[in-house]
Amino acid sequence: MDNLIARTDAEEREAGFAARVAENQRRVFHIAYGILGNRADAEDVAQETFLRAYQKLSSLRESEKFRAWVNRISFRLALNRQRGGRRRLTRETAWHAHGTGEPVNALQNAEERVLVERLRNEIEGLPEKLRRALQLSIVEDMDAADVGVVLGIPAGTVRSRLHAARKLLLEAMK
Amino acid sequence: MRNDCEKWKDPLLDAALTGIAAHGLEEHMFNCADCTAELAALRAKRERLDTLLPLVAQGSELSVDFRARVLAAAEAAGETSRRTAWPVWQRAGAMLVIVAAILVIGFTLYRNEVRTSGAVPQNELEAAQKLSEWRAPSDVLLEAPGLEILRATPRLGESYMPVPAKTDKEE
Repeated sequence: MDNLIARTDAEEREAGFAARVAENQRRVFHIAYGILGNRADAEDVAQETFLRAYQKLSSLRESEKFRAWVNRISFRLALNRQRGGRRRLTRETAWHAHGTGEPVNALQNAEERVLVERLRNEIEGLPEKLRRALQLSIVEDMDAADVGVVLGIPAGTVRSRLHAARKLLLEAMK
Repeated sequence: MRNDCEKWKDPLLDAALTGIAAHGLEEHMFNCADCTAELAALRAKRERLDTLLPLVAQGSELSVDFRARVLAAAEAAGETSRRTAWPVWQRAGAMLVIVAAILVIGFTLYRNEVRTSGAVPQNELEAAQKLSEWRAPSDVLLEAPGLEILRATPRLGESYMPVPAKTDKEE
């Protein structure tokens, strides 16, 4: 009887977890990808994030809590991987990304790919505080409040950093 | 762009990004075709930037089997933790045994410490004995025959004849 109850609990838990992964996987991956610029590393980070979340699932039952938690953990793990140099990080160019993953419809023409690549390099050259805020804010489904939660700063500060970052990029685009 | 337009460079960037012109900028642009053109160019660039920025983050997509891999890994991790996890009463029992073992070992060690703390090791006792029996070579001089005479000889200001001091009544 105990075993049956335990099995049912585990099944429920796994079904809930699968739904959470589906809701958050794209965002979590793109947070890591924005920092690492490498699909394989970003996938590793996303997977590690969800495995950690799985261990803490009982305390992350609320959807919003789970979302904020995985965003933060993905960001931290990506930064650790980037700083720790666990492996030689190679930033993919848009060409590589196009060749390895699903076809990216948005990157349809060569000119656009070159511009994205140039923009990515410009972002890399931004001061760290501005760069982090920008990298997180350009992830789909992340507003200033979400970015603020990840960085531990108020949403207003995020907005002013974004403005400063975009201003520098606009100047660089001249 | 003229030289006097230089001060409007920053407000033009702000205006292009926010759509709000700083105080005096509109007035300046009314008389300055260069700045008007510059603002239009900056707005076009901002639109381009807004289009390109999301593509920087979306340069790549997750593998198709990502979710399946995560779920398999999570299931494996869950299976391991379930296999190794003990029921609550077993965990409580194990905790009690550990605490009892720690208490017994601690008490035994404490008692041994108390029992041995009063005793002095044999080698230290022997060393102390030898030290108490030791005499300095100069002690021989103090035991010379003239020692008694020297002790009996009055010091400066003392008399050879000991006279008892008078009390108040005798006076």
